[in-house]
Amino acid sequence: MVATSRNVKLSSRNLDVVYRNLKTNTEVVALHNINLDIIEGEFICIVGPSGCGKTTFLNTVAGLIKPSRGQILLDNQEITGPGADRSMVFQTPSLFPWRTVIKNVLYGLEIQKRLTDETKKMAYQYIEMVGLKGFENYYPHELSGGMQQRVNLARALTVNPSLLLLDEPFSALDAQTREFMQAELLRIWSETQKTSIFITHQIDEAVFLADRVFVFGARPGRVVEVIDVDIPRPRNLNIKRNPKFLELVDRIWSIIEQESTKQGFANKKLKEN
Amino acid sequence: MQNNESVNLTAVTSTAEKKSAKKLEKEKIGFIISTVTVIAFLILWELASRNSWIPPLFISSPTAIAKAAFLMVQDPQFWHHMKISGYEFGVGFLLAVAIGVPMGVFSGWNYYFYSLVNPFISGLYVTPKVSLLPVILIAFGIGTASKIAIVFLMAFFPIVMSAQKAMKTLDQNLIKAARVFTATQLQIFKTVALPSTVPFLLNGIRLGIGQGLIGVVVGEMYAATAGIGFQLTSYGQNLQTDRMFVGVIVITVTGILLTGILGWIEKRFSSWIPEHD
Repeated sequence: MVATSRNVKLSSRNLDVVYRNLKTNTEVVALHNINLDIIEGEFICIVGPSGCGKTTFLNTVAGLIKPSRGQILLDNQEITGPGADRSMVFQTPSLFPWRTVIKNVLYGLEIQKRLTDETKKMAYQYIEMVGLKGFENYYPHELSGGMQQRVNLARALTVNPSLLLLDEPFSALDAQTREFMQAELLRIWSETQKTSIFITHQIDEAVFLADRVFVFGARPGRVVEVIDVDIPRPRNLNIKRNPKFLELVDRIWSIIEQESTKQGFANKKLKEN
Repeated sequence: MQNNESVNLTAVTSTAEKKSAKKLEKEKIGFIISTVTVIAFLILWELASRNSWIPPLFISSPTAIAKAAFLMVQDPQFWHHMKISGYEFGVGFLLAVAIGVPMGVFSGWNYYFYSLVNPFISGLYVTPKVSLLPVILIAFGIGTASKIAIVFLMAFFPIVMSAQKAMKTLDQNLIKAARVFTATQLQIFKTVALPSTVPFLLNGIRLGIGQGLIGVVVGEMYAATAGIGFQLTSYGQNLQTDRMFVGVIVITVTGILLTGILGWIEKRFSSWIPEHD
Protein backbone atom coordinates (compact mmCIF):
# COMPACT_ATOMS: atom_id res chain seq x y z
CA MET A 1 0.00 0.00 0.00
CA VAL A 2 1.03 3.53 -0.64
CA ALA A 3 1.89 5.60 2.36
CA THR A 4 -0.79 8.25 2.66
CA SER A 5 1.64 10.71 4.18
CA ARG A 6 3.05 11.36 0.70
CA ASN A 7 1.82 14.23 -1.44
CA VAL A 8 -0.97 14.10 -3.93
CA LYS A 9 0.72 14.43 -7.31
CA LEU A 10 -2.23 14.52 -9.65
CA SER A 11 -5.82 15.24 -8.84
CA SER A 12 -8.75 15.03 -11.22
CA ARG A 13 -11.81 16.91 -10.02
CA ASN A 14 -15.29 16.53 -11.52
CA LEU A 15 -13.68 16.08 -14.89
CA ASP A 16 -15.94 15.90 -17.95
CA VAL A 17 -14.71 15.65 -21.52
CA VAL A 18 -17.38 16.02 -24.17
CA TYR A 19 -16.69 15.64 -27.88
CA ARG A 20 -18.90 17.68 -30.15
CA ASN A 21 -19.53 16.58 -33.69
CA LEU A 22 -20.18 19.84 -35.49
CA LYS A 23 -21.55 18.15 -38.61
CA THR A 24 -24.29 16.14 -36.93
CA ASN A 25 -24.51 18.53 -34.00
CA THR A 26 -24.33 15.65 -31.53
CA GLU A 27 -22.31 15.23 -28.37
CA VAL A 28 -20.43 12.23 -27.07
CA VAL A 29 -19.55 12.20 -23.40
CA ALA A 30 -16.09 10.63 -23.40
CA LEU A 31 -15.45 11.14 -19.69
CA HIS A 32 -17.99 11.83 -16.99
CA ASN A 33 -17.24 13.11 -13.51
CA ILE A 34 -13.77 11.65 -13.06
CA ASN A 35 -12.55 12.15 -9.52
CA LEU A 36 -9.25 10.60 -8.56
CA ASP A 37 -6.03 11.34 -6.72
CA ILE A 38 -2.65 9.93 -7.61
CA ILE A 39 0.05 9.96 -4.97
CA GLU A 40 3.64 10.97 -5.66
CA GLY A 41 5.72 7.97 -6.73
CA GLU A 42 2.72 5.77 -7.47
CA PHE A 43 2.41 3.52 -10.49
CA ILE A 44 -1.19 3.67 -11.66
CA CYS A 45 -2.77 1.52 -14.35
CA ILE A 46 -6.05 2.32 -16.05
CA VAL A 47 -7.92 -0.57 -17.63
CA GLY A 48 -11.29 -0.74 -19.26
CA PRO A 49 -13.13 -1.78 -22.39
CA SER A 50 -12.46 0.13 -25.60
CA GLY A 51 -14.41 3.36 -25.68
CA CYS A 52 -14.14 3.88 -21.94
CA GLY A 53 -12.15 7.07 -22.44
CA LYS A 54 -8.88 5.89 -20.92
CA THR A 55 -6.79 7.36 -23.72
CA THR A 56 -8.89 10.53 -23.61
CA PHE A 57 -8.07 10.80 -19.91
CA LEU A 58 -4.35 10.41 -20.59
CA ASN A 59 -4.45 13.00 -23.39
CA THR A 60 -6.24 15.39 -21.06
CA VAL A 61 -3.54 14.91 -18.43
CA ALA A 62 -0.95 15.51 -21.16
CA GLY A 63 -2.71 18.81 -21.91
CA LEU A 64 -3.66 17.86 -25.46
CA ILE A 65 -7.40 17.97 -24.69
CA LYS A 66 -9.14 20.68 -22.70
CA PRO A 67 -11.67 19.56 -20.06
CA SER A 68 -15.29 20.47 -20.80
CA ARG A 69 -15.94 20.74 -17.08
CA GLY A 70 -13.86 20.34 -13.94
CA GLN A 71 -10.10 20.34 -13.84
CA ILE A 72 -6.95 18.33 -13.41
CA LEU A 73 -4.36 19.57 -10.94
CA LEU A 74 -0.72 18.61 -11.16
CA ASP A 75 1.18 19.62 -8.01
CA ASN A 76 -1.85 21.81 -7.22
CA GLN A 77 -1.51 23.68 -10.52
CA GLU A 78 -4.28 23.40 -13.07
CA ILE A 79 -3.21 21.73 -16.31
CA THR A 80 -3.92 24.05 -19.23
CA GLY A 81 -1.64 22.56 -21.89
CA PRO A 82 1.38 20.37 -22.47
CA GLY A 83 4.27 20.98 -20.09
CA ALA A 84 7.86 19.99 -19.50
CA ASP A 85 6.77 18.32 -16.25
CA ARG A 86 5.02 15.56 -18.20
CA SER A 87 6.02 13.29 -21.03
CA MET A 88 4.44 10.37 -22.80
CA VAL A 89 5.36 6.97 -24.14
CA PHE A 90 3.13 6.51 -27.16
CA GLN A 91 1.24 3.47 -28.37
CA THR A 92 3.06 3.55 -31.71
CA PRO A 93 6.77 4.32 -31.26
CA SER A 94 6.25 7.72 -33.00
CA LEU A 95 10.00 8.10 -33.51
CA PHE A 96 11.28 10.64 -36.01
CA PRO A 97 12.53 8.45 -38.87
CA TRP A 98 15.16 10.98 -39.92
CA ARG A 99 16.71 11.11 -36.47
CA THR A 100 19.05 8.52 -35.02
CA VAL A 101 18.29 6.91 -31.66
CA ILE A 102 20.29 9.51 -29.72
CA LYS A 103 18.79 12.41 -31.71
CA ASN A 104 15.31 11.04 -31.03
CA VAL A 105 16.05 10.74 -27.33
CA LEU A 106 17.37 14.31 -27.25
CA TYR A 107 14.28 15.67 -29.04
CA GLY A 108 12.40 16.81 -25.93
CA LEU A 109 15.44 18.58 -24.48
CA GLU A 110 16.05 20.28 -27.80
CA ILE A 111 12.47 21.54 -28.00
CA GLN A 112 12.54 22.70 -24.38
CA LYS A 113 15.94 24.34 -24.92
CA ARG A 114 17.51 22.37 -22.10
CA LEU A 115 20.29 20.77 -24.11
CA THR A 116 23.46 20.90 -21.98
CA ASP A 117 26.40 18.57 -21.48
CA GLU A 118 24.75 17.36 -18.31
CA THR A 119 21.32 16.62 -19.81
CA LYS A 120 23.06 14.98 -22.79
CA LYS A 121 24.87 12.67 -20.40
CA MET A 122 21.50 11.79 -18.91
CA ALA A 123 20.20 10.89 -22.36
CA TYR A 124 23.05 8.41 -22.82
CA GLN A 125 22.34 7.02 -19.36
CA TYR A 126 18.69 6.45 -20.22
CA ILE A 127 19.64 4.77 -23.49
CA GLU A 128 21.83 2.44 -21.47
CA MET A 129 19.05 1.94 -18.91
CA VAL A 130 16.60 0.80 -21.58
CA GLY A 131 19.27 -1.59 -22.90
CA LEU A 132 20.17 0.13 -26.15
CA LYS A 133 23.80 1.01 -25.47
CA GLY A 134 25.69 0.74 -28.77
CA PHE A 135 22.61 1.57 -30.85
CA GLU A 136 22.83 5.36 -30.41
CA ASN A 137 23.53 6.02 -34.08
CA TYR A 138 20.99 3.62 -35.55
CA TYR A 139 17.93 4.90 -37.37
CA PRO A 140 14.51 3.73 -36.14
CA HIS A 141 13.83 1.60 -39.21
CA GLU A 142 16.93 -0.43 -38.39
CA LEU A 143 15.45 -1.47 -35.02
CA SER A 144 12.86 -4.08 -34.07
CA GLY A 145 9.47 -3.06 -32.67
CA GLY A 146 10.55 -3.81 -29.11
CA MET A 147 13.74 -1.76 -29.50
CA GLN A 148 11.75 1.14 -30.96
CA GLN A 149 9.51 1.12 -27.91
CA ARG A 150 12.63 1.23 -25.72
CA VAL A 151 13.71 4.39 -27.57
CA ASN A 152 10.20 5.78 -27.11
CA LEU A 153 10.57 5.17 -23.36
CA ALA A 154 14.09 6.64 -23.18
CA ARG A 155 12.89 9.75 -25.01
CA ALA A 156 10.11 10.25 -22.48
CA LEU A 157 12.44 9.72 -19.49
CA THR A 158 15.21 12.00 -20.77
CA VAL A 159 13.20 15.20 -20.27
CA ASN A 160 13.07 14.11 -16.61
CA PRO A 161 9.31 14.55 -16.17
CA SER A 162 7.72 14.43 -12.76
CA LEU A 163 4.79 12.50 -14.25
CA LEU A 164 5.23 9.79 -16.86
CA LEU A 165 2.28 8.90 -19.09
CA LEU A 166 2.25 5.58 -20.92
CA ASP A 167 -0.43 4.93 -23.56
CA GLU A 168 -0.61 1.16 -24.18
CA PRO A 169 3.08 1.15 -25.06
CA PHE A 170 3.36 -2.62 -25.39
CA SER A 171 0.10 -3.37 -27.19
CA ALA A 172 1.75 -3.75 -30.60
CA LEU A 173 4.47 -6.12 -29.38
CA ASP A 174 4.32 -9.90 -29.56
CA ALA A 175 3.39 -11.70 -26.34
CA GLN A 176 6.93 -12.70 -25.39
CA THR A 177 8.52 -9.32 -25.99
CA ARG A 178 5.65 -7.72 -24.10
CA GLU A 179 6.38 -9.82 -21.01
CA PHE A 180 10.07 -8.90 -21.15
CA MET A 181 9.23 -5.25 -21.57
CA GLN A 182 6.86 -5.31 -18.59
CA ALA A 183 9.64 -6.63 -16.37
CA GLU A 184 12.10 -4.15 -17.89
CA LEU A 185 9.70 -1.29 -17.27
CA LEU A 186 9.38 -2.24 -13.60
CA ARG A 187 13.17 -2.37 -13.27
CA ILE A 188 13.51 1.07 -14.90
CA TRP A 189 10.65 2.48 -12.88
CA SER A 190 12.21 1.26 -9.62
CA GLU A 191 15.42 3.08 -10.62
CA THR A 192 13.65 6.36 -11.44
CA GLN A 193 10.67 6.25 -9.04
CA LYS A 194 8.57 8.46 -11.28
CA THR A 195 4.86 8.83 -10.77
CA SER A 196 3.39 6.92 -13.72
CA ILE A 197 0.02 6.46 -15.36
CA PHE A 198 -0.11 3.43 -17.62
CA ILE A 199 -3.05 2.74 -19.93
CA THR A 200 -3.68 -0.81 -21.02
CA HIS A 201 -6.45 -3.18 -21.96
CA GLN A 202 -4.50 -6.15 -20.64
CA ILE A 203 -5.58 -6.89 -17.12
CA ASP A 204 -2.61 -9.05 -16.15
CA GLU A 205 -0.27 -6.33 -17.38
CA ALA A 206 -2.06 -3.80 -15.18
CA VAL A 207 -1.93 -5.99 -12.06
CA PHE A 208 1.72 -6.86 -12.67
CA LEU A 209 2.80 -3.22 -12.95
CA ALA A 210 0.52 -1.15 -10.76
CA ASP A 211 0.20 -0.03 -7.17
CA ARG A 212 -3.44 0.67 -7.92
CA VAL A 213 -5.61 -0.25 -10.89
CA PHE A 214 -8.40 2.09 -11.94
CA VAL A 215 -11.14 0.24 -13.77
CA PHE A 216 -12.98 2.48 -16.21
CA GLY A 217 -16.44 1.84 -17.63
CA ALA A 218 -17.72 2.92 -21.01
CA ARG A 219 -20.47 5.25 -22.22
CA PRO A 220 -19.87 7.54 -20.52
CA GLY A 221 -16.26 6.90 -19.51
CA ARG A 222 -16.01 6.89 -15.73
CA VAL A 223 -14.18 5.27 -12.84
CA VAL A 224 -16.03 2.10 -11.84
CA GLU A 225 -13.68 0.77 -9.24
CA VAL A 226 -10.19 1.23 -7.80
CA ILE A 227 -8.26 -1.93 -6.93
CA ASP A 228 -5.24 -1.93 -4.61
CA VAL A 229 -2.55 -4.33 -5.75
CA ASP A 230 -0.96 -5.38 -2.48
CA ILE A 231 1.71 -7.58 -4.00
CA PRO A 232 5.11 -6.61 -2.63
CA ARG A 233 7.87 -5.21 -4.83
CA PRO A 234 10.26 -5.93 -6.40
CA ARG A 235 8.07 -8.13 -8.58
CA ASN A 236 9.26 -10.52 -11.23
CA LEU A 237 7.35 -12.41 -13.90
CA ASN A 238 6.90 -15.38 -11.56
CA ILE A 239 4.26 -13.52 -9.58
CA LYS A 240 1.93 -13.97 -12.53
CA ARG A 241 1.40 -17.53 -11.24
CA ASN A 242 0.85 -16.34 -7.68
CA PRO A 243 -2.74 -17.08 -6.43
CA LYS A 244 -3.12 -13.52 -5.18
CA PHE A 245 -2.19 -12.18 -8.60
CA LEU A 246 -4.68 -14.47 -10.31
CA GLU A 247 -7.37 -13.52 -7.84
CA LEU A 248 -6.89 -9.82 -8.56
CA VAL A 249 -6.95 -10.44 -12.31
CA ASP A 250 -10.13 -12.43 -11.86
CA ARG A 251 -11.74 -9.72 -9.81
CA ILE A 252 -11.00 -7.03 -12.38
CA TRP A 253 -12.23 -9.33 -15.12
CA SER A 254 -15.57 -9.79 -13.43
CA ILE A 255 -15.96 -6.03 -12.92
CA ILE A 256 -15.34 -5.41 -16.60
CA GLU A 257 -17.60 -8.29 -17.55
CA GLN A 258 -20.41 -6.88 -15.42
CA GLU A 259 -19.87 -3.50 -17.01
CA SER A 260 -20.11 -4.88 -20.52
CA THR A 261 -23.23 -6.89 -19.68
CA LYS A 262 -24.83 -3.71 -18.39
CA GLN A 263 -23.62 -2.05 -21.54
CA GLY A 264 -25.16 -4.84 -23.58
CA PHE A 265 -28.51 -4.28 -21.90
CA ALA A 266 -28.24 -0.57 -22.44
CA ASN A 267 -27.50 -1.11 -26.12
CA LYS A 268 -30.48 -3.46 -26.42
CA LYS A 269 -32.74 -0.92 -24.80
CA LEU A 270 -31.43 1.75 -27.11
CA LYS A 271 -32.27 -0.40 -30.10
CA GLU A 272 -35.77 -1.19 -28.85
CA ASN A 273 -36.54 2.45 -28.40
CA MET B 1 16.30 -10.95 -19.29
CA GLN B 2 18.99 -8.45 -20.14
CA ASN B 3 21.04 -11.28 -21.68
CA ASN B 4 18.18 -12.71 -23.61
CA GLU B 5 17.46 -9.40 -25.26
CA SER B 6 21.08 -8.77 -26.23
CA VAL B 7 21.18 -12.18 -27.92
CA ASN B 8 18.14 -11.07 -29.89
CA LEU B 9 19.88 -7.86 -30.89
CA THR B 10 22.88 -9.62 -32.42
CA ALA B 11 20.54 -11.95 -34.26
CA VAL B 12 18.83 -8.94 -35.85
CA THR B 13 22.12 -7.54 -37.16
CA SER B 14 23.40 -10.78 -38.63
CA THR B 15 20.19 -11.50 -40.56
CA ALA B 16 20.40 -7.97 -41.93
CA GLU B 17 23.92 -8.70 -43.17
CA LYS B 18 22.86 -11.95 -44.80
CA LYS B 19 20.02 -10.16 -46.54
CA SER B 20 22.32 -7.51 -47.98
CA ALA B 21 24.75 -10.15 -49.32
CA LYS B 22 21.88 -11.85 -51.10
CA LYS B 23 20.72 -8.52 -52.47
CA LEU B 24 24.21 -7.72 -53.75
CA GLU B 25 24.26 -10.99 -55.67
CA LYS B 26 20.86 -10.17 -57.15
CA GLU B 27 22.01 -6.71 -58.19
CA LYS B 28 25.08 -8.19 -59.93
CA ILE B 29 22.93 -10.53 -62.02
CA GLY B 30 20.56 -7.67 -62.82
CA PHE B 31 23.46 -5.54 -64.04
CA ILE B 32 24.70 -8.33 -66.32
CA ILE B 33 21.24 -8.82 -67.81
CA SER B 34 20.89 -5.09 -68.52
CA THR B 35 24.32 -4.81 -70.13
CA VAL B 36 23.80 -7.83 -72.38
CA THR B 37 20.39 -6.54 -73.50
CA VAL B 38 21.71 -3.10 -74.39
CA ILE B 39 24.65 -4.54 -76.37
CA ALA B 40 22.33 -6.94 -78.19
CA PHE B 41 20.04 -4.04 -79.05
CA LEU B 42 22.93 -1.98 -80.45
CA ILE B 43 24.13 -4.90 -82.59
CA LEU B 44 20.63 -5.50 -83.92
CA TRP B 45 20.29 -1.80 -84.71
CA GLU B 46 23.61 -1.80 -86.60
CA LEU B 47 22.61 -4.91 -88.55
CA ALA B 48 19.18 -3.52 -89.38
CA SER B 49 20.80 -0.41 -90.77
CA ARG B 50 23.65 -2.09 -92.70
CA ASN B 51 21.35 -4.63 -94.34
CA SER B 52 18.70 -1.97 -94.97
CA TRP B 53 16.02 -3.96 -93.09
CA ILE B 54 14.88 -0.52 -92.12
CA PRO B 55 16.01 2.44 -94.30
CA PRO B 56 19.21 3.87 -92.73
CA LEU B 57 17.85 7.35 -93.35
CA PHE B 58 15.24 6.73 -90.63
CA ILE B 59 17.33 5.04 -88.03
CA SER B 60 20.96 5.85 -88.91
CA SER B 61 23.23 3.35 -87.10
CA PRO B 62 25.22 3.22 -83.86
CA THR B 63 28.56 3.48 -85.67
CA ALA B 64 27.39 6.40 -87.82
CA ILE B 65 26.09 8.18 -84.72
CA ALA B 66 29.39 7.57 -82.92
CA LYS B 67 31.29 9.01 -85.87
CA ALA B 68 29.00 12.04 -86.00
CA ALA B 69 29.38 12.56 -82.27
CA PHE B 70 33.16 12.40 -82.57
CA LEU B 71 33.10 15.15 -85.19
CA MET B 72 30.50 17.26 -83.44
CA VAL B 73 32.25 17.47 -80.07
CA GLN B 74 35.27 19.02 -81.84
CA ASP B 75 33.08 21.74 -83.25
CA PRO B 76 32.89 24.85 -80.99
CA GLN B 77 29.44 25.53 -82.46
CA PHE B 78 28.12 22.39 -80.72
CA TRP B 79 29.35 23.60 -77.34
CA HIS B 80 27.82 26.99 -77.97
CA HIS B 81 24.40 25.35 -78.42
CA MET B 82 24.99 23.18 -75.35
CA LYS B 83 25.84 26.20 -73.27
CA ILE B 84 22.69 28.03 -74.30
CA SER B 85 20.43 25.06 -73.60
CA GLY B 86 22.20 24.41 -70.30
CA TYR B 87 21.75 28.02 -69.28
CA GLU B 88 18.04 28.02 -70.17
CA PHE B 89 17.42 24.77 -68.36
CA GLY B 90 19.54 25.68 -65.33
CA VAL B 91 17.95 29.07 -64.70
CA GLY B 92 14.39 27.86 -65.35
CA PHE B 93 14.82 24.80 -63.18
CA LEU B 94 16.46 26.63 -60.28
CA LEU B 95 13.67 29.20 -60.36
CA ALA B 96 11.13 26.38 -60.25
CA VAL B 97 12.83 24.90 -57.17
CA ALA B 98 13.35 28.27 -55.48
CA ILE B 99 9.72 29.29 -55.88
CA GLY B 100 8.03 25.88 -56.00
CA VAL B 101 9.41 24.44 -52.77
CA PRO B 102 8.47 27.31 -50.44
CA MET B 103 5.14 27.84 -52.15
CA GLY B 104 4.27 24.15 -51.89
CA VAL B 105 5.42 23.89 -48.29
CA PHE B 106 3.57 26.99 -47.11
CA SER B 107 0.39 26.26 -49.02
CA GLY B 108 0.40 22.74 -47.54
CA TRP B 109 0.93 24.15 -44.05
CA ASN B 110 -1.44 27.12 -44.06
CA TYR B 111 -4.99 26.52 -45.21
CA TYR B 112 -5.69 30.15 -46.14
CA PHE B 113 -2.57 30.43 -48.26
CA TYR B 114 -3.61 27.12 -49.82
CA SER B 115 -7.04 28.56 -50.68
CA LEU B 116 -5.34 31.57 -52.22
CA VAL B 117 -2.93 29.79 -54.56
CA ASN B 118 -4.56 26.44 -55.15
CA PRO B 119 -7.11 27.39 -57.83
CA PHE B 120 -4.21 28.53 -60.00
CA ILE B 121 -1.92 25.64 -59.15
CA SER B 122 -4.43 22.87 -59.74
CA GLY B 123 -5.80 24.62 -62.82
CA LEU B 124 -2.43 25.09 -64.46
CA TYR B 125 -1.25 21.66 -63.34
CA VAL B 126 -3.51 19.94 -65.85
CA THR B 127 -2.95 22.51 -68.61
CA PRO B 128 -0.40 21.31 -71.19
CA LYS B 129 2.23 23.98 -70.63
CA VAL B 130 3.52 23.79 -74.22
CA SER B 131 0.17 25.15 -75.36
CA LEU B 132 1.25 28.42 -73.75
CA LEU B 133 4.35 28.63 -75.99
CA PRO B 134 2.85 31.09 -78.50
CA VAL B 135 1.96 33.48 -75.70
CA ILE B 136 5.32 32.97 -73.99
CA LEU B 137 7.06 33.88 -77.25
CA ILE B 138 5.02 37.05 -77.59
CA ALA B 139 5.86 38.02 -74.04
CA PHE B 140 9.51 36.94 -73.81
CA GLY B 141 10.68 36.91 -77.42
CA ILE B 142 12.57 34.30 -79.39
CA GLY B 143 15.71 34.35 -77.20
CA THR B 144 16.63 32.53 -73.99
CA ALA B 145 14.02 34.23 -71.78
CA SER B 146 11.11 32.40 -73.39
CA LYS B 147 12.90 29.06 -72.88
CA ILE B 148 13.58 29.86 -69.25
CA ALA B 149 9.89 30.62 -68.86
CA ILE B 150 8.74 27.33 -70.39
CA VAL B 151 11.29 25.28 -68.39
CA PHE B 152 10.08 27.01 -65.25
CA LEU B 153 6.44 26.30 -66.04
CA MET B 154 7.12 22.65 -66.82
CA ALA B 155 9.27 21.96 -63.74
CA PHE B 156 7.36 24.10 -61.27
CA PHE B 157 4.16 22.06 -60.97
CA PRO B 158 5.51 18.63 -60.06
CA ILE B 159 7.69 20.34 -57.43
CA VAL B 160 4.96 22.49 -55.90
CA MET B 161 2.45 19.63 -55.89
CA SER B 162 4.82 17.19 -54.21
CA ALA B 163 5.73 19.71 -51.50
CA GLN B 164 2.05 20.39 -50.90
CA LYS B 165 1.21 16.71 -50.71
CA ALA B 166 4.03 16.08 -48.25
CA MET B 167 2.68 18.74 -45.91
CA LYS B 168 -0.85 17.41 -46.18
CA THR B 169 0.11 13.85 -45.29
CA LEU B 170 2.19 14.56 -42.19
CA ASP B 171 2.29 11.75 -39.65
CA GLN B 172 -0.15 12.85 -36.94
CA ASN B 173 1.59 10.61 -34.40
CA LEU B 174 4.79 12.63 -34.82
CA ILE B 175 2.91 15.90 -34.43
CA LYS B 176 1.31 14.58 -31.27
CA ALA B 177 4.73 13.57 -29.93
CA ALA B 178 6.10 17.04 -30.69
CA ARG B 179 3.14 18.69 -28.95
CA VAL B 180 3.54 16.57 -25.82
CA PHE B 181 7.16 17.73 -25.66
CA THR B 182 5.73 21.30 -25.66
CA ALA B 183 6.75 22.16 -29.22
CA THR B 184 5.34 25.43 -30.55
CA GLN B 185 3.78 25.63 -34.01
CA LEU B 186 7.04 27.01 -35.38
CA GLN B 187 9.03 24.20 -33.75
CA ILE B 188 6.63 21.61 -35.16
CA PHE B 189 7.08 23.17 -38.57
CA LYS B 190 10.85 23.03 -38.33
CA THR B 191 11.33 19.68 -36.60
CA VAL B 192 8.44 17.62 -37.98
CA ALA B 193 6.93 19.18 -41.11
CA LEU B 194 10.06 20.21 -43.02
CA PRO B 195 12.03 16.98 -42.60
CA SER B 196 8.92 14.97 -43.53
CA THR B 197 8.82 16.66 -46.92
CA VAL B 198 12.32 15.55 -47.97
CA PRO B 199 11.44 12.25 -49.70
CA PHE B 200 8.40 13.83 -51.40
CA LEU B 201 10.41 16.85 -52.50
CA LEU B 202 13.20 14.79 -54.01
CA ASN B 203 10.59 12.86 -55.94
CA GLY B 204 8.97 16.08 -57.16
CA ILE B 205 12.35 17.45 -58.18
CA ARG B 206 13.07 14.26 -60.11
CA LEU B 207 9.82 14.70 -62.05
CA GLY B 208 10.68 18.38 -62.46
CA ILE B 209 14.00 17.50 -64.12
CA GLY B 210 12.23 15.36 -66.71
CA GLN B 211 9.60 17.99 -67.39
CA GLY B 212 12.16 20.80 -67.55
CA LEU B 213 14.21 18.91 -70.15
CA ILE B 214 11.10 18.48 -72.27
CA GLY B 215 10.45 22.19 -71.84
CA VAL B 216 13.86 23.32 -73.07
CA VAL B 217 13.87 21.00 -76.11
CA VAL B 218 10.30 21.69 -77.19
CA GLY B 219 10.79 25.41 -76.62
CA GLU B 220 13.89 25.46 -78.82
CA MET B 221 12.27 23.31 -81.48
CA TYR B 222 9.25 25.58 -81.60
CA ALA B 223 11.10 28.85 -82.12
CA ALA B 224 14.72 29.64 -81.40
CA THR B 225 18.02 30.66 -82.93
CA ALA B 226 20.26 28.42 -80.86
CA GLY B 227 20.29 25.44 -78.49
CA ILE B 228 20.23 21.67 -78.71
CA GLY B 229 16.55 21.58 -79.68
CA PHE B 230 17.12 24.13 -82.42
CA GLN B 231 20.10 22.14 -83.71
CA LEU B 232 18.06 18.94 -83.61
CA THR B 233 15.35 20.44 -85.78
CA SER B 234 17.76 21.77 -88.39
CA TYR B 235 19.61 18.42 -88.62
CA GLY B 236 16.26 16.74 -89.11
CA GLN B 237 15.31 19.15 -91.86
CA ASN B 238 18.66 18.45 -93.57
CA LEU B 239 18.10 14.68 -93.27
CA GLN B 240 21.24 14.34 -91.11
CA THR B 241 19.73 11.57 -89.00
CA ASP B 242 23.05 10.59 -87.40
CA ARG B 243 23.70 14.10 -86.10
CA MET B 244 20.09 14.40 -84.97
CA PHE B 245 20.49 11.25 -82.90
CA VAL B 246 23.58 12.73 -81.26
CA GLY B 247 21.37 15.58 -80.07
CA VAL B 248 18.83 13.14 -78.68
CA ILE B 249 21.55 11.19 -76.89
CA VAL B 250 22.96 14.37 -75.39
CA ILE B 251 19.55 15.16 -73.88
CA THR B 252 19.13 11.61 -72.61
CA VAL B 253 22.57 11.56 -71.01
CA THR B 254 21.86 14.91 -69.36
CA GLY B 255 18.66 13.50 -67.89
CA ILE B 256 20.45 10.39 -66.62
CA LEU B 257 23.26 12.48 -65.10
CA LEU B 258 20.89 14.88 -63.35
CA THR B 259 18.68 12.17 -61.88
CA GLY B 260 21.85 10.28 -60.93
CA ILE B 261 23.11 13.30 -58.99
CA LEU B 262 19.71 13.55 -57.35
CA GLY B 263 19.83 9.89 -56.36
CA TRP B 264 23.22 10.49 -54.80
CA ILE B 265 21.85 13.46 -52.84
CA GLU B 266 18.89 11.33 -51.79
CA LYS B 267 21.19 8.66 -50.37
CA ARG B 268 23.37 11.19 -48.57
CA PHE B 269 20.68 13.27 -46.94
CA SER B 270 18.09 10.69 -46.18
CA SER B 271 19.78 7.52 -45.10
CA TRP B 272 16.71 7.18 -42.89
CA ILE B 273 14.40 6.24 -45.73
CA PRO B 274 13.98 2.47 -45.54
CA GLU B 275 14.87 0.85 -48.85
CA HIS B 276 12.00 -0.73 -50.71
CA ASP B 277 12.86 -3.67 -52.87
